[in-house]
Amino acid sequence: MHDELADDDFIVIAVAIDEATDEVRVLADGITYPVLMDPDHLLTELYAISNVPAVVWIDEHGRIARPNANEFGSDMFSEFTGRTREGHFDQIRAWVHQGVVPDDASSEIADLDEDELAARLHFRLAAHLRRAGDEAGAARHFDAAARLAPLDFTVVRAAMPLRGESPFGEEFFKLLEEYQEAGSPFHGITPAP
Amino acid sequence: MTTITVLGDEVASATGEWAEGRPLVEPDALSAAIGWTLKPEGLCRDDMCVPVRDRSAMQVGDKVDLAVAADALDRPTLVDPDTSAVVLGQPNATRQAALRDRQAPDFTFADLDGVDRSLSDYAGKKRLLVAFSSW
Repeated sequence: MHDELADDDFIVIAVAIDEATDEVRVLADGITYPVLMDPDHLLTELYAISNVPAVVWIDEHGRIARPNANEFGSDMFSEFTGRTREGHFDQIRAWVHQGVVPDDASSEIADLDEDELAARLHFRLAAHLRRAGDEAGAARHFDAAARLAPLDFTVVRAAMPLRGESPFGEEFFKLLEEYQEAGSPFHGITPAP
Repeated sequence: MTTITVLGDEVASATGEWAEGRPLVEPDALSAAIGWTLKPEGLCRDDMCVPVRDRSAMQVGDKVDLAVAADALDRPTLVDPDTSAVVLGQPNATRQAALRDRQAPDFTFADLDGVDRSLSDYAGKKRLLVAFSSW
C-alpha cells in the first residue's frame, strides 16, 4: 500500500506501542516507511487509543481525516471481522486520489475518562520502574493500571510480556472473553465489512 | 532533601522533598523537571505564560508543588511518594483538540535506528498513522 501510493504525497507512519525493539524489528523487516518506538505509550494518550491496531488518517494540513479505526494489515482476522484489508486499501486509494473519505470518517471518538488516563500514568511508571530493576514497584503499578482500565489492551495486554506472561496465554484469553462480554469497548471505529 | 523522578516529556530528576505526600521542589528545579519556569506572570516556557490562579496552593514556603504546577498546565498527574515519582500525562487540551477539532497531535519518537522522527516531519503529505505492537 505504502509503496503503491508513495509517489502521491502519501506516507505510512507506524508507531509501535511497545518497548520490545527486537520483536518490532522482526515485524518491520522489509518495510520501507518509518517505524517508530513508543515505549511510554504517549500516542495512546494523545489520540485516545485503547487497542491495536488503530489506524488514523491525517491529511496534508495535519487534520484528522478519519479517526482511530481498528484496521488490520492482513486478512488474518477477516473471518471474525467480515472486513478485508483490501476494503480498507480501496478506501485509502479513494482518499489519496480523490480526497473522498468513507461515511464512518465523521464518527466521534469518546474521550478517555479519568480512570483510563490514570491507568496510562500507572503503566508508564510501572514500565519505568521495571527498566530500573524495581520489579515489585512495577508489579504494583501494573496492577493499579489494570484495576483502572481492565479492558484496555494498551494497558493490560501490553503489560503481559513485561510481567513475564505470554500475550497469547491464559491471561490474554481471559481478557479477550471479558472484553467481548462487555461489548468490545474500543475508542474508535469498528469498520463495517 | 531527596530526589524526585519526574516522568514528563523526558525523564528528569529534581531535588526536593515530600511533605505530607506533596512533591515539593526548588523553583530552580521546576524548569529542568517539567520545562516550565515560575515567574510573576505565571508558569512560563519560551515566550508563553500560563496564569496561575491560586499561587498559594502551588508555593509551599520557598518550594513549588510539582503536582499543582502540572495541574495548572492541564496535565493529568500521578504522584507516588513510595517510589518518589511524579508522572505527567500529555496535556488534556491536546487530546481533546484531536477528538473534537480533528487537530492531529504532533509527536516525536525514535525510529528503529534511534533517529527521532516527528509526525510534522511529513507535513504536506497524507499520512496513515498505524499504531501496532508485538504483544
